[in-house]
Amino acid sequence: MSAKRRSRAAIAAYLFLAPAILGLVFYTFLPIFGVVGMGLTEWDALKAPKFIGLGNFVELFTDDMFFVRSVTSTLYFALFTVVLGTVYAFVVALLLNQRIAGRGLFRSIFFLPYIVPSIGAAIVWAWMYEANFGVINFVLNSIGLDKVQWLGNEATATPALGMMAIWGFGNYIVIYLAGLQGIPKTYLEAVEMDGGNAWHKFRHITLPLLSPVIFFNVLMSVIANLQVFVPALSITKGAPNGSTLYMVYYIFKQGFWNNRFGYASAVSLIFFAFIACVTAIIFASSRNLLFFEGE
Amino acid sequence: MTMRTGTNYMITALASLMGLACIFPFFWMLRSSFMNNIEIYQYPPRLLPSILRADNYPAALSIFPFGRYLINTLTIAIPSVAGTLLTSTMAAYALARLEFPLKRLIFTLIIASMLMPGTVTIIPIFKGWVALHMASGYLPLIVPAFLGGGAFNIFLCRQFLMTIPRDLDEAATIDGAGRVRILARILLPLIKPVLISIGLFAFILYWNDVLGPLIYISRNEQNTISQGLANFRAGFGTDYRAIMAASCMSVAPAVALYFAGQKYFIEGIVLSGLKS
Repeated sequence: MSAKRRSRAAIAAYLFLAPAILGLVFYTFLPIFGVVGMGLTEWDALKAPKFIGLGNFVELFTDDMFFVRSVTSTLYFALFTVVLGTVYAFVVALLLNQRIAGRGLFRSIFFLPYIVPSIGAAIVWAWMYEANFGVINFVLNSIGLDKVQWLGNEATATPALGMMAIWGFGNYIVIYLAGLQGIPKTYLEAVEMDGGNAWHKFRHITLPLLSPVIFFNVLMSVIANLQVFVPALSITKGAPNGSTLYMVYYIFKQGFWNNRFGYASAVSLIFFAFIACVTAIIFASSRNLLFFEGE
Repeated sequence: MTMRTGTNYMITALASLMGLACIFPFFWMLRSSFMNNIEIYQYPPRLLPSILRADNYPAALSIFPFGRYLINTLTIAIPSVAGTLLTSTMAAYALARLEFPLKRLIFTLIIASMLMPGTVTIIPIFKGWVALHMASGYLPLIVPAFLGGGAFNIFLCRQFLMTIPRDLDEAATIDGAGRVRILARILLPLIKPVLISIGLFAFILYWNDVLGPLIYISRNEQNTISQGLANFRAGFGTDYRAIMAASCMSVAPAVALYFAGQKYFIEGIVLSGLKS
């Protein structure tokens, strides 16, 4: 290829890539610098930003009654949702991987909550959780248990919202199911020939072969659920006592309701560092657990 | 053999039980939307309405202008889907087929940006739109779709374009076709199923988005369906029959779209899991 043709190809490539590069610049890299820079300012409503160094961070950790609560609630929500949700999705996928009638219909039913508008889902779940008239307490009542103030109680608010999020784990079910269907039958038959039972097959074939898929799903669901927002916005408003004051909701509240943009940026920066740490921990701890074919 | 069928019955029973639990919130929403408030607040709750009160829907519509919200939502979603498909395939084509300086770096940056949670940067991006005096309206919600359409979509298209033999491009080049023509007429038709999946998921993303409209749209007559529903609930918190009817109206199109494009939804999700 001549030099001229090469440079023409390069120009064409950059033209094709121009939108994506603009996106990287204006929606990823500049905003990151923006978060850092704005986090160092006091920037309220219509006033001009004022540089205050680490002032916002000092306030967050020493003077803000709700910030630390916001971090721990977010972590609690994500942990609860991802741990139980992973078990739920995996178990459903194992069930649907058996030769049962109506598998396609089942798959649709379990998948559907994933694409439902989150506000619509939040409204009906909030009504099911309602303490006096809600159907969930009715079920508890009828098996002899006491009614629970699901959304009005610090101990149960996050698990209640977490159950709703787990209901929307249909995408992970579909991914696990595809992974299960990709496991070569001959491997499982080999275990049977050696006299292994269902548990052996699961422990020595299914689990190791699916470990990269599990890792991917856990990573994606952690990142998604740390960013929980809609349930806090539409159901609990952060209550009771900050137990559902998840970080994105807190950023939104400080920024767009209280007009404290500098402060909200400082929270965003910590939120980013927090997600980066969690991601790094997941990557680091996965090294010994993952099994890749051919290794 | 009998043991096998026995286990199968148990598995079917268990899956059915869980499936019923999973579908229950949909049923509850629908059933409540046909009741009056007295029946909704009845305790112990009744399973079905005594009569089907379809008049909840017109009642809800008189305060919840679904048609208006639907047009608003589509005004955002349709251009956004188009922008997603257009710019992600353009970027994917360059990464899959063309040679240029810094290719590896750009590819790596695009992949790395997938790990960046979008919610971290809402504040500076909003301030950017404020600086441009364009922070109120649909533009800030549509423009991002035209800036690459999401790193994951670029990656997905690239992977699929790489599986198409280059002979096809070369033959077309000899016939005098340019790059745009090769991409639009030869390559994209070959990855149509992937493009349909990407389009459907992008549509659902914009249909369900809450945070974006909340930040950039303040006037009620510009609200999207999700936003309108959130406001409706905040304003009419106890009128559950109307809220449930409005919820059903906002959920139904998403459900209908799913059943219309089921195959592509499932395939799209499977693809998203295979990148690991």
